[in-house]
Amino acid sequence: MSQSGASPYYLCDQSLISCNEQEETPISNVAEEGIIASIVISGPLEEAPATESSNTPQDSQSSCFSSTTSLNRSDESFSNQEDEKNPSTLMLMPYTNNLSACLDEKMTLLVQFMLIKYQQREMITKEDILKIVIREYEEHFLEIFTMACKRIELVFGIEMREMGPASHCYIVCNIMDLTYCKMRSGEETLPRNGLLIFILGVIFMKGSRAPEKEIWKWLNRMGIYSRKNHVIYGEPREFITRDLVMEMYLEYRKISKSYPVSYEFLWGPRAHAEINKVKFLEYLSKINDSDTPVYSSQYEAALRDEEEKAKISPRLIIPHKAKKRPKATLRKRPHC
Amino acid sequence: MQSSARRMGVMTDVHRRFLQLLMTHGVLEEQDIRRLQKHCYKVHDRNAAVEKLEDFIHNINSVLESLYIEVKKGITEDNGRPIYALVNLATTPVSKMASDFAENELDLFRKALELIIDSESGFASSTNILNLVDQLKGKKMKKKEAEQVLQKFVQNKWLIEKEGEFTLHSRAILEMEQYIRETYPDSVKMCNICHSLLIQGQSCETCGIRMHLPCMAKYFQSIREPHCPHCNDYWPHEIPEVFNQEKEKEREEEAGFSKSSKKSLRSRQQ
Repeated sequence: MSQSGASPYYLCDQSLISCNEQEETPISNVAEEGIIASIVISGPLEEAPATESSNTPQDSQSSCFSSTTSLNRSDESFSNQEDEKNPSTLMLMPYTNNLSACLDEKMTLLVQFMLIKYQQREMITKEDILKIVIREYEEHFLEIFTMACKRIELVFGIEMREMGPASHCYIVCNIMDLTYCKMRSGEETLPRNGLLIFILGVIFMKGSRAPEKEIWKWLNRMGIYSRKNHVIYGEPREFITRDLVMEMYLEYRKISKSYPVSYEFLWGPRAHAEINKVKFLEYLSKINDSDTPVYSSQYEAALRDEEEKAKISPRLIIPHKAKKRPKATLRKRPHC
Repeated sequence: MQSSARRMGVMTDVHRRFLQLLMTHGVLEEQDIRRLQKHCYKVHDRNAAVEKLEDFIHNINSVLESLYIEVKKGITEDNGRPIYALVNLATTPVSKMASDFAENELDLFRKALELIIDSESGFASSTNILNLVDQLKGKKMKKKEAEQVLQKFVQNKWLIEKEGEFTLHSRAILEMEQYIRETYPDSVKMCNICHSLLIQGQSCETCGIRMHLPCMAKYFQSIREPHCPHCNDYWPHEIPEVFNQEKEKEREEEAGFSKSSKKSLRSRQQ
């Protein structure tokens, strides 16, 4: 698992140079086949002809091949996890040059796909990945996926986390403590985050769940009313019950056996995954201008939670077919 | 072999955060980019000296190269402000626009794009775009709906609207230049000076060559009698001023806008 801040990653110099010199081939050929940001035109991604990668001319790709494999290898050597040696990359050797280059291209596409999903704060399913990006290279899914995860972590500090033990759904998360940093400096924050942080704070202080009535009580105090359009948040009810739920920052549940029917809010999986609860609590006490001991039970719980998170590596390890490997996944939602 | 002369990039959390935030914003003006860079250093590496922006971006780009992505710099066509965006270099089937919009919406954009490229001024009127609503692929779209979709494009910084007419946002130009040049090789216009895509600009009435306003401003700077660089005929149009970051700051301060209020305005518009 990459440690934030401390270790810079170096990419092999030569590999990038040789790849660069081959620039004109993969890009222009892909374009010639008419794909693209004719995204703008074809719309549904499925329309993109699957054959484009296999059509790239062999000779121009061959020199790219050696450079890209060396690039993969250098990635591996800088990975912090010793036990994560990926045997499937080495297995490439017996294959033709062309395959490796194609896999590399698929990896690039997958990285771009992940970036888009990250920006849109949407979940990715394995199905999506296979259908939209990997297509005919289905049996190489694991390899392509792992390469893409490594690369995106290295370059963007973003990782893929599995939603549940066998769900094959992933959320694209920030490794770095982005949320907390956003809290400190208001500059880059989209203003809507302020409301989210506030609600998360209310839920946090109530234990692990807050009834909807309670949330609205606090929001009303800030001049935010249900069904009254707010200049920043729009219609607040829709924002919190739909938008934030869709982005997986909140969960909105019916309280069982409640009459009349009422709902409650909980932290969503993304909130759990992205936010360091200890820092969150410290932040809360700072803005409330009070000492942490007041929230000591929550503080303890938060510390415990962070310890657990650190023990179980949050990084996705997909069960490898060839070897038996410990399966580490996000554990079930902790009580915060 | 240029390998020895070429500096290799080093990715740290400073760079990663920079990329993440640039992605979130979509496109940023130069002064915002500088602020963003300083912020990233402040958050992740307080004690380090802030690297010169050009080198900082160059390092990042050397790492992004293998992914066919780039932090690209451009200038706004109307007033020459430098802007930055993270763009795809390869034209691939995976793209932001395709994920954000439905098939008929994308087709609407395509129709608007064609009108914009074909037009003399670089603008397409709302009426002309809406008249093409019946020809759209996918689900049927009413004109009212199409108006809203156009507004969505404006909000997401793909189009700019001025007095009922639409042109490409500088972000769209940065991202789609390659695609546009490939798809519309006959109707696309190029700037005679910088040789890149031209949507808005001025043209010589004699020989027809075109130039971006900011390109022209630089080229004709402090020349009293401007002549067409191609046919040498007298240049009839008004020459705009060169964009000056310092003067711009002074103007902003005089007008009483604090930087922070303008900034929050911008982020709200996202």
